[in-house]
Amino acid sequence: MLQGALAGLAAGGLYAVLAVCLTLMSRLVRVVNFAQSATGMFGCYVAVFLAVHLGFPEWLATLAGILLGGALSAVLGWIVSTWLAEADTGTRSAVTVAVLLLLISLAFILFGNKPQPFHPLLAGPAFTVGGVVVSQVTVVTVALAVLVALGCRAVLARTSLGVRLRALSERPTTAELLGIPARPLSVGVWTATGVIATLAVSIVAPSQSNDPTSLAMLVVPAAAAALLGGFRRLDLAVAGGLVLGMAQGAVAQADKLSVLRYFLPFLVIVALLLWTQRKEVWDAAR
Amino acid sequence: MRKVLPTLAVAVLLATAGCAGSDAGSSGPIVVGSVNALSGAATFPESSQAAKAVFDAANAAGGVNGRRIEYKAIDDKGDPSAAAAAAREVVGGDSAVALVGSSSLIECEINEKYYEQQKILSMPGIGVDPACFSSPNIAPVNVGPFHDMTLTLLYGSEVLKLDDVCALLEIAGNTLPAYQAAIDEWTKITGKKLKYVDSTVPYGGSDYTPYIVKARAAGCKAITVNPVEPDSIGQLKAAQAQGWTDVTWLLLTSVYSENYAKAISNAGAGVYVPAEFSPFTDAAAPANQEWRDLMAKNKIPLTSFSQGGYLAAKYFLAVLRGMKGDITRETVTKALREMKPISDPMVGTPYVFGPAQAHHDNTAGWPIKLATGTNKWELSARDWLRIPRS
Repeated sequence: MLQGALAGLAAGGLYAVLAVCLTLMSRLVRVVNFAQSATGMFGCYVAVFLAVHLGFPEWLATLAGILLGGALSAVLGWIVSTWLAEADTGTRSAVTVAVLLLLISLAFILFGNKPQPFHPLLAGPAFTVGGVVVSQVTVVTVALAVLVALGCRAVLARTSLGVRLRALSERPTTAELLGIPARPLSVGVWTATGVIATLAVSIVAPSQSNDPTSLAMLVVPAAAAALLGGFRRLDLAVAGGLVLGMAQGAVAQADKLSVLRYFLPFLVIVALLLWTQRKEVWDAAR
Repeated sequence: MRKVLPTLAVAVLLATAGCAGSDAGSSGPIVVGSVNALSGAATFPESSQAAKAVFDAANAAGGVNGRRIEYKAIDDKGDPSAAAAAAREVVGGDSAVALVGSSSLIECEINEKYYEQQKILSMPGIGVDPACFSSPNIAPVNVGPFHDMTLTLLYGSEVLKLDDVCALLEIAGNTLPAYQAAIDEWTKITGKKLKYVDSTVPYGGSDYTPYIVKARAAGCKAITVNPVEPDSIGQLKAAQAQGWTDVTWLLLTSVYSENYAKAISNAGAGVYVPAEFSPFTDAAAPANQEWRDLMAKNKIPLTSFSQGGYLAAKYFLAVLRGMKGDITRETVTKALREMKPISDPMVGTPYVFGPAQAHHDNTAGWPIKLATGTNKWELSARDWLRIPRS
């Protein structure tokens, strides 16, 4: 079981990074970005294309892919904050579902449905604990999740940029009337999360099977993790991602439970929703 | 309007009667169909493309007894209802005389009963699901994943002398009993047992690390898997990330492609595959020369799928050319049932449709391997490896 849990930690790290991005987006720009991992996937696929077909050096191709992931997210953010500035969270989020489907289809059209020769940025084991191998990918994704969460918290709590962002998220109209530039700041948040998500997917994608659909659908376990923190708390989002990854790894160790593995995120989502709604009376909850 | 309708009806009746007449006669084109995964998540367009190339070449050389072959490749989109509709379109609508060169993940299982009802025979280029190998009306040209698994296990245990072989099985639909039977056949021949079988490995999983960790902890020295390419790549990378570099992979033809070789740079102790046809990556193989030339001329990728489609069309043409009298569905079915086995250097087993209730006769694979750091498939045998007849 412990072995399985550690084996699931790399996936857990990735979920945690994506969950942190989702939480930031939800808090700061009022959107549940369903295209979060799809933009990352698309950036990675473009990076592989640049490296394999145009002969770019690996590092340059990866960098270009990460920048593209950020740029895609920025464009999406610009569209949402320009035309849907006054819309509610549901409407703004619905747009990202369309982008998710668009990016999956586009990846199939542009790159075909054969696996891509991803070049690993990190390969091999980092260290062994009691006979259990922890891979380099695991170490880096977990560290990335924690660092991003800490970094974001520091920026939000301690810098003037953070104060403006918080003002914008709490009272958007008041903040704008006070002269805080809403659209550039929103697009900035979209860009940053796009870059972080693409970086995380770039690290993990070469170490697993990496077709466009499975990479884009990583948003489901990430959303389950973000839900643990109610799409507000970064620390719980990180914990949720890591625990979910480890639970999936552990469950895969028992033949009878193994089939549960891919349902776990959905079970977690349902359980958390029921828990958060427990005090609602029937009329208010439905 | 009232007067027009009956006239129209009579005209339509006359026209359809005319069409039916020309179809049944001996001068119109011979319609041959196929049901294929041309779009969807996993596509294999090369099989029907290759079959079409063979038929086009035959038409250019004067056809069969002066009649052209009209080849129809219909898309099943990997979707059961589309697969059923595709078969009805080509068998019922176009009155095909036979199906040749199909390649689909699900088509045999969906359409086997319909083919029996319609008394039409199908010669898939690549049969995948168990029904392709257990139906009286379907006889694929290829070895198939089940005999492939027996072959790869035989090579691992008898030639490479590997002990502690495990199996990670990706089970879709009702394929588990067929894979189990393939493993049992290996046990019957060698008297050996698998150290460990995990049949819970998912198709299209994102991270296979937990399954790899489990197999390693169980003490496996070699692993046989029935993967599709992306899954296998994920599994090999998970093993690499765990630092498990001395494991041998006994895989199936499903991963035999240039694309896979390029994507795998660390193959542990090697990836071994029984190629179902004379290995296409060996440019010097004389057995493949004619196929290679035809594919190059028609710009069709060199893959196992195009080999299967090419052979299906070639066998079919040979049977058609040996027929006397009218070529209709009834006469073609009869000819295929009564055909003599055809040998071809591209395969290790002669092909025969015959009257059997099940068609799983192709039992030879050519062992090839992919070594760490080479990104190229190499021959690892000089002759076919055959499943011994019991």
